[in-house]
Amino acid sequence: MDRRKIDVVLATISIVVSVIILTNDSLVEGGVETELGSLFLPRIVAGLMIVFSAAMAIPSLLGLLRQAEQTDEEAISTTGFSGVFIYIGIFITYWLVVPYVGFLVATPFVMFSIAALLGGRKWLPIVLMSVITPLMVFYGSLHFLRVFLPTWTLS
Amino acid sequence: MLENILNGFSAIFAIGPILGIIAGVIVGITFGAIPGISAIMAIAIILPLTFYVDPIIGITMLLAVYKSGIYGGSISAILINTPGAAASFLTAKDGHALTKAGKSGKALDISLFSSVSGEMLATLVLILVAAPISAISLQAGPIEKVFVLLFAFTVIATMAGGSISRGLLSCTLGMMFAMVGLSTITGASRFTFGVTELMSGFTFTPMLIGVLVMPEVLNVIRRRKQTQGSMTITRSSNPADNRISLKEFKAVIGTILKSSGIGTFIGALPGLGSSTAAFMAYGEARRVSKKPDEYGKGSVEGIAAAESANNAVCGSSLIPMLTLSIPGDDVAALLMGAFLIHGLTPGPMIFFEHTETIYAIFAGFLITDLFLLAIAKSGFRFFVKLASLSRYYIFPCVTIFAFTGAFTAGQNMNDILILICFTVLGYGMRLVGLNPAIFIIGFILTPYLEQNLDQAIAIVGTDYHLFFASPFAWVFILLSVFFVSSNIWMKRRRQQPQSPSSLQEAKT
Repeated sequence: MDRRKIDVVLATISIVVSVIILTNDSLVEGGVETELGSLFLPRIVAGLMIVFSAAMAIPSLLGLLRQAEQTDEEAISTTGFSGVFIYIGIFITYWLVVPYVGFLVATPFVMFSIAALLGGRKWLPIVLMSVITPLMVFYGSLHFLRVFLPTWTLS
Repeated sequence: MLENILNGFSAIFAIGPILGIIAGVIVGITFGAIPGISAIMAIAIILPLTFYVDPIIGITMLLAVYKSGIYGGSISAILINTPGAAASFLTAKDGHALTKAGKSGKALDISLFSSVSGEMLATLVLILVAAPISAISLQAGPIEKVFVLLFAFTVIATMAGGSISRGLLSCTLGMMFAMVGLSTITGASRFTFGVTELMSGFTFTPMLIGVLVMPEVLNVIRRRKQTQGSMTITRSSNPADNRISLKEFKAVIGTILKSSGIGTFIGALPGLGSSTAAFMAYGEARRVSKKPDEYGKGSVEGIAAAESANNAVCGSSLIPMLTLSIPGDDVAALLMGAFLIHGLTPGPMIFFEHTETIYAIFAGFLITDLFLLAIAKSGFRFFVKLASLSRYYIFPCVTIFAFTGAFTAGQNMNDILILICFTVLGYGMRLVGLNPAIFIIGFILTPYLEQNLDQAIAIVGTDYHLFFASPFAWVFILLSVFFVSSNIWMKRRRQQPQSPSSLQEAKT
């Protein structure tokens, strides 16, 4: 993947967002009047973001237009990205499921899935780890930290 | 001051803080020794555990994780040539060469002794220097603080990372995210788009774990098909190869002291960090060495220089944070967040408002070195075994700790959504060369900037020239200009093609 293309897209998004912040007053609601106002600093920062985004994107854009050869720094290797997407998918599912089935039920499946994703094939120790760790974390949090991790709410 | 220090020691010598330090040292060495887990990751994971204990216990525990995590990085560097951080790169070069020669015990020993010496020296400097500097910085009013903060933003964003524009963009992104929610000055809600959950802004802990910890996990997932190096301590039949003798230690003590001094000085300057310190100290030690040819091929002196400088940064990087509220590097930014969570606002007032707590933390920071020495020395084999666990045992646990840590902050599931969103953002930032640590520094410092800017404007009214009336302001403007221009100059110099004569010199 060519980082220069991402630079240009990222800078464009950043500049558009900054322009919206600079021009739109409805991004702030309520508050008292002060010398500076609530949007003074955000607008200064938005102005700076335009400058820095442009400073980042212009060399990349020039490189693309001149069809200059990619440097090592500008090449993003996509090897192994499928695993990253699977991991994020597991995490999002975990977030959605935990409020209903609880931490103690959902966590072993998540740990097992991640261990399998990482290439773990020693099933017995992985299963033991997946069951014991959530138990320790759940009761440790409950008794030592007074943190009540989500429990089963399906019934 | 002496009385405060003694009071600090009496506060730290209690069961709670000592257990906290021991736990912190064990966790720090273990996490530091695991390839792929850095000290900053260890602190971010442990941070939520400290919410519910006294600040003296919580902060000293985090500092113990920090110190021992930095040291722990040298274990994997020496044994499997995998430096956990850039600062351990030089340790890996010499240390692994010794390991291959069957002298890993010697390498681990000298690394431990130099790390502890460097850390102790820097901690003593921190204790002796921080309070007097804070007394000076107390003279600074809101106008001067605005310039101090602008100095911090500029220097940290330009010094860290490869590209100045990317560093500064990371900082402004962090600043923008910090302004989401209710303004502490006007009470207005900004960028909430009617979402009530955003009124209180982004919760710090899940954001921190998302930006700094989880991208490391994603990196490991991405490289999951690469084989994992196994750590073993090589033993030589000659006992002298498995340890460092008093004579050998005496021979490098000068290097350790000098490198610790370099590390302490570099650490006190915001933005430079431990890698710069390690490289400078290593270069200087090699320059004056009687055996410069051994460097990079298993030099005990080289390990001593790199490790003492690298670890000396731990103590001195807290000087700008505690005296000027400027976190010098990513770990200091994280620790600043931890101080804030515990109700301690880093800055000159901390020495007057929380005298007993801060000196107890200092005392704890100092005695951590002794615990590190004792625990690491007696448990090398244990830590190596623990750190050698397969990644499919370690990273599922890290994921669950991250989940629990994020949930612990506010005990609600929205924080997990924040964790997921910032994980993606943090990983994306790394891919495109933006710096997540600078993002966090921008996030932490922005409320201070806004508050002081508002007060400063109220003071000067329409007489804007008063902004530049204080010598303090000019000092920081000049320092900012100096740091930025010298950084640009250094980068240009590095990019310049080498002249034929210098290439010839390099060849010879």
